[in-house]
Amino acid sequence: MDPYDTPESTPRHGASSRLKDYFIGATPLRKRLESVRKQASFVPTPPRRKIPQCSQLQEDNDPQKFAFLLHKQWTLYSLTPLYKFSYTNLKEYSRLLSAFIAAEKQKGLAVEVGEDFNIKVTFSTLLGMKGTQRDPEAFLVQILSKSQLPSENRGQKVLWTGWFCCVFGDSLLETVPEDFTCVPLFLANGAETNTAIVGTWFQETFDCHFSSLAINAFNLSWMAAMWTACKMDQYMATTEFLWSVPCSPQSLDISYAIHPEDAKALWDSVHKTPGEVTQEEVDLFMDCLYSHFHRHFKIHLSATRLVRVSTSVASAHTDGKIKILCHKYLIGILAYLTELAIFQID
Amino acid sequence: MDETVAEFIKRTILKIPMTEMMTILKAWDFLPENQLQTVNFRQRKESLVQDLVLLCESKRASLRDAALLDIIYTQFHRHQKVWDVFQMSKEPGEDVDLFDMERFKSSFEKILRRALKNVTVSFRDAEENAVWIRIAWGTQYRKPNQYKPVYVVYYSQTPYAFTSFCHLKSNAPLLSQALTVASNHHKIVKMDLRSRYLDSLKAIVFKQYNQKFETHNSTMPLQETLELDMHMDSRIIHENRIEKERVQRVTQETFGDYPQPRLEFAQYKLETKFKSDFHGGILAERKEPLRCLIKFSSPHLLEALKSLAPAGIADAPLSPLLTCIPNKGMNYFKIRDK
Repeated sequence: MDPYDTPESTPRHGASSRLKDYFIGATPLRKRLESVRKQASFVPTPPRRKIPQCSQLQEDNDPQKFAFLLHKQWTLYSLTPLYKFSYTNLKEYSRLLSAFIAAEKQKGLAVEVGEDFNIKVTFSTLLGMKGTQRDPEAFLVQILSKSQLPSENRGQKVLWTGWFCCVFGDSLLETVPEDFTCVPLFLANGAETNTAIVGTWFQETFDCHFSSLAINAFNLSWMAAMWTACKMDQYMATTEFLWSVPCSPQSLDISYAIHPEDAKALWDSVHKTPGEVTQEEVDLFMDCLYSHFHRHFKIHLSATRLVRVSTSVASAHTDGKIKILCHKYLIGILAYLTELAIFQID
Repeated sequence: MDETVAEFIKRTILKIPMTEMMTILKAWDFLPENQLQTVNFRQRKESLVQDLVLLCESKRASLRDAALLDIIYTQFHRHQKVWDVFQMSKEPGEDVDLFDMERFKSSFEKILRRALKNVTVSFRDAEENAVWIRIAWGTQYRKPNQYKPVYVVYYSQTPYAFTSFCHLKSNAPLLSQALTVASNHHKIVKMDLRSRYLDSLKAIVFKQYNQKFETHNSTMPLQETLELDMHMDSRIIHENRIEKERVQRVTQETFGDYPQPRLEFAQYKLETKFKSDFHGGILAERKEPLRCLIKFSSPHLLEALKSLAPAGIADAPLSPLLTCIPNKGMNYFKIRDK
């Protein structure tokens, strides 16, 4: 078995490169993994999905537990399984990643805002953030800045947050050998330079690969329909769609906001199958919105590009950005995103 | 020279791009030509600004001079502000008296001063009988904030005035009142029209946007573009060609041959019922309308809309809700079922 490529020989890009530019030369382990994956059957997008409900595993409906994950914009990535990752080594990983970041910053590859921060890295598990018992535990990585002041916890600011999870990831879990931990969905918030550094460390340490997870119009439509289908006691935000029109030479953006109660009424009128959302229903829902728009403006929205959808439950952008607004449906949202991530890995 | 005035002049000059420095200083006409020539315009901007401020000091520049410089800067950078449009009207049957610019200015300033002890009002005449007014607001106890002024551009031979966005909404009624009374009008109404492009707003409101081209045979350009199309793609069969011609013709009739006035957005507040021929039954029993807010944004909205039908993204003719924008002088709409 060949040893891993040493860090020095790994292709080194500027810290500002997108993560998708990184790759490590295939080692025999990686090749083995790829052949296993190819044997697994291709999983097509299902024609129906369950409407997100509160997760059965969330015993404590404590809204505070994951509150810090809400109302933040997360950039999405898919992540191949981690080789020989262990939940008992989290403290060790904190130490190693801390040292790695410090070394990177000393090399001047990462440009920070002038000051010389003391950096602290924490790894922690996020209990309950999973779909089935089979899903591995989700975990969180944070980069904190330590103030020079001696007073306790003073000036400890969170500079960067990234979390790894797998919600209803059965289709991937089944195909992966024992030494691998599957957390295909990665969400990051903070400076991209930090995301790149953390990504490099993970790739070098666990022989994995990150890819930006874009969300196409088809999936955005599904999300809009599913999130509109969610039962809400209170609507915090208007339901909004954003289309980008491919006309030249001037660009044109069309934003279409509809009162959430009216969106729900439209959905209820379209919805036939209890507890589930079907392809036909999603298509009809979107078609009705297009039709209402066309009646007034004579423009075919279906000929343009859906770029963003936003509801009281969550908002998603085609570039692979998401904001979760409602803790009740967190698991449902993550389940969909996990599915997209797995689809991209395959 | 007052410290605050010096600081104000310094910050204003710092905003000016180096390429425009000479032009704007000349337009200001406060520092004479021979003095300007003694200044080294090739040095670093900060040093240049310092030299210029010293010159202003030696000439005892006042707040009034500084305000004038600010007006000129804004005239050169009018796109940095967002402009609203107001329309004034007289009582029917009221005498149309001759407009006196000086009387207007003094009356306008008096009205503001009577209400607010602390306010800076400056004027600069412009072409077409227009005047640019700069107002820096203060309060009973605080001196005017020179860094958040409001601009009004009033075309005295018309009932229209354009105002830049005002952060202090509380002063808006006072401003409207001063404008109305000083110009001998009775009523003032804010139009549903807003844009960064002051000249486009002017073109729309004064109905000048369709006079850019000289008169010509209107079928000629259409013929030329059609021939080009036909040469480019011989796969377009006869039926499609007829349709393409129709779309081009209808688009031209709607939008005209001339460059469109420049707007960045149009906003529609819709409260209309859902009605569809193909989706019978959907929301059929619902009496309430769908409440929607639709916003079109573009660096050049009307040109973008014009290109939609030829690109196959929209029907031709485009909806009158969109094509009426320059005609009606509106880009904010509230639409309800009749």
